[in-house]
Amino acid sequence: MSHNNFEGLSLLVVEDSPGDVFLVKEAMKEEGLTCRLEVADDGEKAIRILDDVDAGSHDRPNLLLVDLNIPRESGTAVLERLRRSPVCGKTPVVMMSTSDRLVERKRAFDLGATEYFCKSSSLAEFMQLGKLVRRLLEHREAA
Amino acid sequence: MDPASSAKATRSQERRDPHASDLLADDLRARLAEAEETIRAICSGEADAVVVSHTTGPRVYAIEGADHPYRVMVEQMHEGTVTLDRDHLILYANPQFAAMMAIAPESVRGSRFGRFLAPADASLLGTMVEAALAGGHSSGDLHLRTADGSMVPVRLSVTLLDAAGMQNLCVIASDLREQRRNEAILQEERLSRLILEQAAEAIVVIDPRGIIVRRSQSTNQLARRPVLMGPFDEAFTLTASGIPFGTADILAAAHAGENISGLEVEMLQSSRKTSTLLMSASPLSSDGNDLLGCVITLTDITERKRAEEALATQTDELARSNSDLRQFAYSASHDLREPLRQLAVFSELLQTRYQDKLDNEAAMLIQHAVDSAHRMERLLTDLLAYTQAADAPQDTGRSTDANQVVQKTLAVFEEKIAASGARVDCQPLPILAVHDVHLTQLFQNLIGNALKYRGPEPLWIRVSAERMDGMWRLTVADNGIGINPAYQSQIFGLFQRLHGGGKYSGSGIGLAICQKIVQRYGGRIWVESEPGRGSRFMFTLPEKQNVAQ
Repeated sequence: MSHNNFEGLSLLVVEDSPGDVFLVKEAMKEEGLTCRLEVADDGEKAIRILDDVDAGSHDRPNLLLVDLNIPRESGTAVLERLRRSPVCGKTPVVMMSTSDRLVERKRAFDLGATEYFCKSSSLAEFMQLGKLVRRLLEHREAA
Repeated sequence: MDPASSAKATRSQERRDPHASDLLADDLRARLAEAEETIRAICSGEADAVVVSHTTGPRVYAIEGADHPYRVMVEQMHEGTVTLDRDHLILYANPQFAAMMAIAPESVRGSRFGRFLAPADASLLGTMVEAALAGGHSSGDLHLRTADGSMVPVRLSVTLLDAAGMQNLCVIASDLREQRRNEAILQEERLSRLILEQAAEAIVVIDPRGIIVRRSQSTNQLARRPVLMGPFDEAFTLTASGIPFGTADILAAAHAGENISGLEVEMLQSSRKTSTLLMSASPLSSDGNDLLGCVITLTDITERKRAEEALATQTDELARSNSDLRQFAYSASHDLREPLRQLAVFSELLQTRYQDKLDNEAAMLIQHAVDSAHRMERLLTDLLAYTQAADAPQDTGRSTDANQVVQKTLAVFEEKIAASGARVDCQPLPILAVHDVHLTQLFQNLIGNALKYRGPEPLWIRVSAERMDGMWRLTVADNGIGINPAYQSQIFGLFQRLHGGGKYSGSGIGLAICQKIVQRYGGRIWVESEPGRGSRFMFTLPEKQNVAQ
């Protein structure tokens, strides 16, 4: 486990499944990441947060974890909105999905996703999400 | 001799000498006999001319008797005429017979009549001659053969000529070619009329004024009234694309020398009901190119249109239904996986986090839950793959090197191959016109099965290919446990598994996916197997055209 726990950074988790939100938190915990998690349980809420970020009334997130299949606005709509943001348009984004279909993976990258994470039914594989988040945050710091 | 001058001379001699009167009587009797013989010869036609002595010398008087016109008639008659003796030798032939046989008249006389008969009719002449000799006359139709070999149908009339103790035969040949031509024309005309009358389509002939001058019987049925000799536009109220369409349009096209072909028109049958007709019209022109009228064909396609529309609707519905079904299968398998995935992860989390606090039985129960969730997830993943295989485009434009696909597949199974000690022999494989993902699925399933269902003997797997009926037949053979013949036809079905009790894992979908993929490319898949001795899975796929092997 790395010494850097990235305390003080904030993650926006766009996920409607409480179970997966729990598992995301578990993965962060397992990796020793203590950054703040904000959850939006549908796409519309996520876009509203991004609007607020652009308006300066909300802190900008340091990383987004966005599920593809969420209510109201889709995960790709959230991603597209983020990339248009003048304030946080370059923020790294991990698109998450149960599907491991190549077409969905390609579509996510075409729209500007930084990483694609397939939500596994294996606990060990799911916990790899923590490592992925750490790598992206470290990369961000290095940049 | 002049009879008046002869009698005057006799009376003068009687007055001069009584002895002389006897001599004169004898002379007169001889002259009378000569005169009677002359008259008989003239009457019988034996004499053509009479020579009379005059003081100025003999004079020849041609006899233009009663038979002369008959001679001229025979010479000039339309029929060919010949006289034959009993041996069929031609004694006389008129010019028409020679012309009919396309031969010089002088070549006819002296020939046997059989020379002019068609071979098939040769025996008929003998029969007709015999009949004429017996009954005076016979007749029959047969063919004569001309000098150039063509056949002339004739009616032959044979008449016995019994004159001056000689029996000859008069044969009159009436040329039937004109008659046959007329008969053929009549027959054709009858046939045309019959076709026109009995045609299923409404066929009408209109004159340049738009009046129906001929029509098939079904025309009346279509118009629901007799239409002959009435205006076409009164019989049929037509529109094309909503615009009235009638004889003015048809005749205008005809005048321009154009055909109307397969034009869809609507026919108003009542104030509400319309029928859909297919119309074709062609101009009828004289040799001088004057427009005589038009032939119009009207085919009622109302029912066909309805059937086509119904079929199109059904096809659309079927396509929509299939699409919905695929979407449902995808969504169902995808959405069902979501809670299952969480069930598996949370069970595992429970197991991991509380393993110190659980007794063995609780740990075992949680393990069952984890295994079941994983099994269910595998099932849904495979079902999803199956629906995608069923939906896969043929994509025959692709070219996939089967050798590379097999090598990649073997790399995937590297650990299992090593663990089982299997020997894999891959012979040279072709380039195939299939998507590499599909070929990968095929080999992963078949090689995976070979590794899974291995027997007690050291396992070997052999992959090979050979051409077969314009396709490639690929074979994955092994020496595994084999398949009972009773179940060999079942294994390609969905969810078909032959082994229970958890001995061999699997969803029973793999071979169904293989079959679906192969069928999408027009191929087939089958198995030859013997329990305990191994299996040979074979499938056919299209070869890539014009690609160097």
